[in-house]
Amino acid sequence: MHTSELLQKYYVDSSTWDEMYRNDSVREQYRAVVDFLQQLSIDELNKKEELAKRLFMSQGITFTVYSSGEGVEKIFPFDIIPRIITASEWDHIEKGIKQRLKALNLFLKDVYHNQFILKDGVVPVDMVYSCPHYLRVMHQFPVPYDIYVHISGIDLIRNSDGSFYILEDNLRTPSGVSYMLENREITKRIFPDLIPANHVRSVTEYPTILHKNLVSLSPRQIANPTVVLLTPGLYNSAYFEHTTLARLMGVELVEGRDLVVDNHKVFMKTTTGLQQVDVIYRRVDDDFLDPLIFNRGSLLGVSGIMNAYRKGNVAIVNAVGNGVADDKAIYSYVPAMIRYYLNEEPILKNVPTYQLANTEEREYVFKNITNMVVKKTNESGGYGMLMGHAASEEEITKYKAEIIKDPRQFIAQPIISLSSSPCYMNGTLTPRRVDLRPYALCGPDGIEIVPGGLTRVALREGSLVVNSSQGGGSKDTWVLGK
Amino acid sequence: MLSRVADSLYWMSRYMERCDGMLRMLKINYAASQDDMDEFSWVPALKLFSYMDEEEAGAISKNSRDVLLYMVTAKENSNSVLNIVTKARENGRSVQDHITKEMWQCLNDFYHMMREESISDWLKKDDPITILDTLLKQCTVYFGTTDVTMARGESHAFINLGKFLERGVQTADILDVKFSALDGEYDKAADTTYWKYLLLSISGLELYLKTYRGGFEAANIVEQSVLNGNFPRSIMYSVKNLRQYFERLRSDKNYTSFNEVMFMIGKLESKIKFSTTQTIVNEGLSKFLQETKTDFLEIGNALNKNYFAYS
Repeated sequence: MHTSELLQKYYVDSSTWDEMYRNDSVREQYRAVVDFLQQLSIDELNKKEELAKRLFMSQGITFTVYSSGEGVEKIFPFDIIPRIITASEWDHIEKGIKQRLKALNLFLKDVYHNQFILKDGVVPVDMVYSCPHYLRVMHQFPVPYDIYVHISGIDLIRNSDGSFYILEDNLRTPSGVSYMLENREITKRIFPDLIPANHVRSVTEYPTILHKNLVSLSPRQIANPTVVLLTPGLYNSAYFEHTTLARLMGVELVEGRDLVVDNHKVFMKTTTGLQQVDVIYRRVDDDFLDPLIFNRGSLLGVSGIMNAYRKGNVAIVNAVGNGVADDKAIYSYVPAMIRYYLNEEPILKNVPTYQLANTEEREYVFKNITNMVVKKTNESGGYGMLMGHAASEEEITKYKAEIIKDPRQFIAQPIISLSSSPCYMNGTLTPRRVDLRPYALCGPDGIEIVPGGLTRVALREGSLVVNSSQGGGSKDTWVLGK
Repeated sequence: MLSRVADSLYWMSRYMERCDGMLRMLKINYAASQDDMDEFSWVPALKLFSYMDEEEAGAISKNSRDVLLYMVTAKENSNSVLNIVTKARENGRSVQDHITKEMWQCLNDFYHMMREESISDWLKKDDPITILDTLLKQCTVYFGTTDVTMARGESHAFINLGKFLERGVQTADILDVKFSALDGEYDKAADTTYWKYLLLSISGLELYLKTYRGGFEAANIVEQSVLNGNFPRSIMYSVKNLRQYFERLRSDKNYTSFNEVMFMIGKLESKIKFSTTQTIVNEGLSKFLQETKTDFLEIGNALNKNYFAYS
């Protein structure tokens, strides 16, 4: 069988936006790739898929699943067909994310200081105070350069009309950026010459920009401040990402047990004694950061680190307490924040969101629950979700009871279909649903977004859930230069 | 450098050196077992590289393939090649940002290779030397990659401390087991194959033949494997390198720690430097080797206390 036949078998549901096809013809941006694929045989494509798997395995781009006392290495599924974004689409996305981040940063500063937005009634007070990620310890603490969100991974999806919507703001410890970098490296290996021929913009600047931003936050004005990346450790599923970033930036990868606080300064234990730490890029959640302030049982954090932070002796990235801004209930107020702080209309739309704490909205959602997604406001990774169209009566009844108990912890959104993108599966091309997570970096010089991101794909047929914990995979994401 | 990182580098390196020494030993012993199975026993090798007692070792010592399976792929043997490589790789994994990407890939590939079912199948059915050679080559690639890609900084120093300490202990161990089997009556092994395989298991036969004329003599073997500073598996060579790499850690910041360990390494080096085969034999070879092993062990403990203590 030849690949051209395989492309003819590509069926797109008419109610879904497809990234590659429109009215049975290939979109301009995909044409060069499709032409290239058509020159290959199924055998060659299978070999390329095999090569990709081997490269991931050999480089240790894996996570470990522990069963019966033995660790088994797994790779996150990778689809070899790239997802392509045109220059004008990217331009729109970039502007929209920058605008949104600007507003979210201002919101965080406001909500931990003067609280104008609450006093003016734009965001309800109880909405903020009932959020478990709103941290009293951050009150009246001036973070360096007023930047809270140094690193974000905002999730976008595409509705059936092709317009982009914001699905979630991830402002705490967003992960996946190493996959953006590694997926590109793998594509270079499996499709030689294809990337330069398509004028794909490079993503390799990411660690350089991040490092530059981290260094600029050092409280000590010295030539070589000590920057570290704090990981929960070897058994964390994102450990590979932590080592990759540490390596690419040339900074020390530390665990909580490597650090100690003395006289409100943070030190790391080295072979030549204690060395002061200036900037910490932490991949440990707020809750586990300091057992003296937060979760007392945490062994991942460092006792006293919050006091060192509040004294201004160490910079912590992302800032502590960001969870109040990416709470799923606060999410629905972000367009209002953009109007309030920036006096601009939001460039990227929000998905309509119903607050279940509001009686009218809750009743509406309960009536239409089969067309809704219900989510917990402070869960991520696709956990604790109810997909109305796929759930059984029983599941719905149980879930409703849970909502009634504490409605503030839930929101609902109409099911958005997500755009589809071609995936190579078992010798054929099949459309699968995708989202997009670009990574934005915010430093004293402004917001920078490397042209690319992580495209997550729901590998199960018909599935709308792209999270890796729920059977999702990823794709290399191309932003075209022209 | 972080103490935890130094510790992991040191152990990654010790495990890889152990893996290499073990594979060499297994290969030569297997070859010896093909010469004369009646004379040959796996017991010394098993005692050296596993936690088996005399009885357990004796039970499988006449079946080479069982021994190889136990020593190479057995999950229940914490000192099998599989487990040693897994430990080396886990240590490497936790310090990926301190070793080069090439080294990490090399360790990772070795680990995935060890987990393949085909290795057991080969050891059961095919020529074991071929598979042992394949595994040895993985070790060699690791050593070469380390040499070619690692910057000569602190990381490299800790890697070499682990390597040469492990090698010194190993040579002392091998000599001790082999010589003590003769109960001091070195002429008893009139059969040259005994000495030949001893030298082969520390890759020293060719040098011996070039240096000494007129057959195998216990005193010459001791001279080469203990005192010859140009023989890369001699105790002298290991200690010399241990000292040289340790000197690179000299720093104003931890003067006391450095001196404490340096004193111990220097003392051991002097002791070997100012020994002759005659003084060693007079003092008793076994006692000399035991003391040397204790010295290595104490140097390891001192490194642990002064450089790796982080919890």
